[in-house]
Amino acid sequence: MSALEPTALIADDEPLLRESLERMLEVAWPGLRIVARARNGREAVEQFEQRRPDVCFLDVHMPGLSGVEAASRIGRRAHLVFVTAYDQYAVQAFAQGVLDYLVKPVEPARLADTVARLQERLRAAEPASNTEALLRELAAQLKPGVARQAPLRWIRASVGTSVRLIAVDDVDFLKSEDKYTVVAWRDETGQPREAVIRTTLKELAPQLDPNQFAQVHRSYVVNLRAIAQVTRNLNETADIRLKARAEVLPVSRTYLHVFRQM
Amino acid sequence: MNPAATPLDASRTPSSPLPWSRVRFTLIASIVLGALLSLPMETATYIVVIRAVVVGLAAMLVFSAIERWPRRDPRWIPRWVLQLIGIVVVVPLAALVAYWMTTGGHPNFQEEEKRVVGYMMLTFMGVFFGPWIALGALLRQREAFARTQALAFDLERSELERKAVDARLRLLQAQVAPHFLFNTLANVQALVDAGSPQASDVLKSLIAYLRAAVPRLNEPATTLGQELELVRAYLEVMRMRMPDRLTYALQIDPAARHVECPPMTLLTLVENAVRHGIDPGEEGGHIDVEVSLQSGRCHVRVVDTGVGLQATGSGLGTGLSTLRERLALAFRGDAHLRLTEREPHGVVAELDFPAREAVP
Repeated sequence: MSALEPTALIADDEPLLRESLERMLEVAWPGLRIVARARNGREAVEQFEQRRPDVCFLDVHMPGLSGVEAASRIGRRAHLVFVTAYDQYAVQAFAQGVLDYLVKPVEPARLADTVARLQERLRAAEPASNTEALLRELAAQLKPGVARQAPLRWIRASVGTSVRLIAVDDVDFLKSEDKYTVVAWRDETGQPREAVIRTTLKELAPQLDPNQFAQVHRSYVVNLRAIAQVTRNLNETADIRLKARAEVLPVSRTYLHVFRQM
Repeated sequence: MNPAATPLDASRTPSSPLPWSRVRFTLIASIVLGALLSLPMETATYIVVIRAVVVGLAAMLVFSAIERWPRRDPRWIPRWVLQLIGIVVVVPLAALVAYWMTTGGHPNFQEEEKRVVGYMMLTFMGVFFGPWIALGALLRQREAFARTQALAFDLERSELERKAVDARLRLLQAQVAPHFLFNTLANVQALVDAGSPQASDVLKSLIAYLRAAVPRLNEPATTLGQELELVRAYLEVMRMRMPDRLTYALQIDPAARHVECPPMTLLTLVENAVRHGIDPGEEGGHIDVEVSLQSGRCHVRVVDTGVGLQATGSGLGTGLSTLRERLALAFRGDAHLRLTEREPHGVVAELDFPAREAVP
């Protein structure tokens, strides 16, 4: 890292913001040379490997590889500054950690602070802070769908020759068939249909909303809203009749508690 | 278990084969009737009461047995009639058994004329009162069943109302995501700083988008024309933000402009295409919006060539699920939303709903 003529990389998928940051840096840090510009995380890592800049400005939200993921590949080989638009989770995480970050739209005063900090570190030839663990945690948190474990709302299934997204509300029940699961659902016109998906019932069941779906048998998970009536049998089992289907589903002894005295 | 989501057990069979309340009632009724019966008799009261209890319990057992068996309702006769017939048939037999038990196995009907009279009276009482008591029990059961069903309907209705409120709330929250707003403003600032003449156009689009998006929250319905202006403004803003990744085309049947449409319907589909199709891909893609009228129904197609649906799509969905709920409420189930994957990649979202002209 040469302290004489520091170099930088700017990564942002929005070209206007890339150019804007570049212009602001010209004012805030005239000695800084922008040697690389990237449109996504993958390009950022590639450009970094080629040009080895001292500082990387990384937009957090980028297609493909995110800014945080790119940062963990660059690691301690450069000083990292994250750039993000209003994003509660990201900003909170950055504020807690030792990471430098800028919020879009970038304010000149804030940028000046960041620049001063970076210049100080470069002058002292301080190594970039060790943020590996923090970055890994952040990357996991920011990955869509992983951080917020919302229940599944759509099931992707082949119907005939096309792939459809079936809303879980339209599903009557799910039946396990070996490595597959049969999805019994109703189409837009209310007609009962069936589709097969590759996911096993065991994998699928935990992703469903427990208020809406209940396992009633080793191989059956039923949408509670699709049930017309539950008839108890004498031998501690029960039969489920559905509103829009002729099938009668079994409730095995183990799962009978689901329907016990409401 | 969430009781609101669980349909009540609608079968009329009581959960236990012989509920204690039923046994208790039978015992009380038999004891009272037995005591009354014993008044004109010479036999000790307790003997008569025991006989009456035996008859009563037998009648109750038959009543309960026919309640469960045959398991399916017989077609040629209502179950309750069978139950009453069962009682009438079993009472004389049970009375015989009762006498046999209380006389040590030797009722001696031939010799004891009074015993025959007593037997006749017991049988008569059983045949007379048994069916009435049984009818009372049936009536009570039916009432209880009606009550459970009314409760189930109530639950379902309140569930629907709750859903409507939820959907509205989620819509309010989802409105104008701050991330979108600040990112767009950062772009506008960049344009202004650079002295670009484009700045004014972008601001215009942003203002059109905000004006359209903000006051709509309280309106139950807008027109497709208004929706389309909103979509156009949104797409224009997004195209400015990612000029190398997004292209789009709108194809609108002019007749559809006055059709009524719940607010944010079209925008949700288009936003979804951008957010889950175009934005996550390095290459971006193209979005086609087509609106047409056909035999009284409005057809909307939003096609994107983006990355397509990811696996079981956990990220995708909240916006679309909310839209589905709102459409179901607005059109009472007469609106259909269908999502299909497009070859080689991308998503086709198709929506059709009854075309109602908005009242100007």
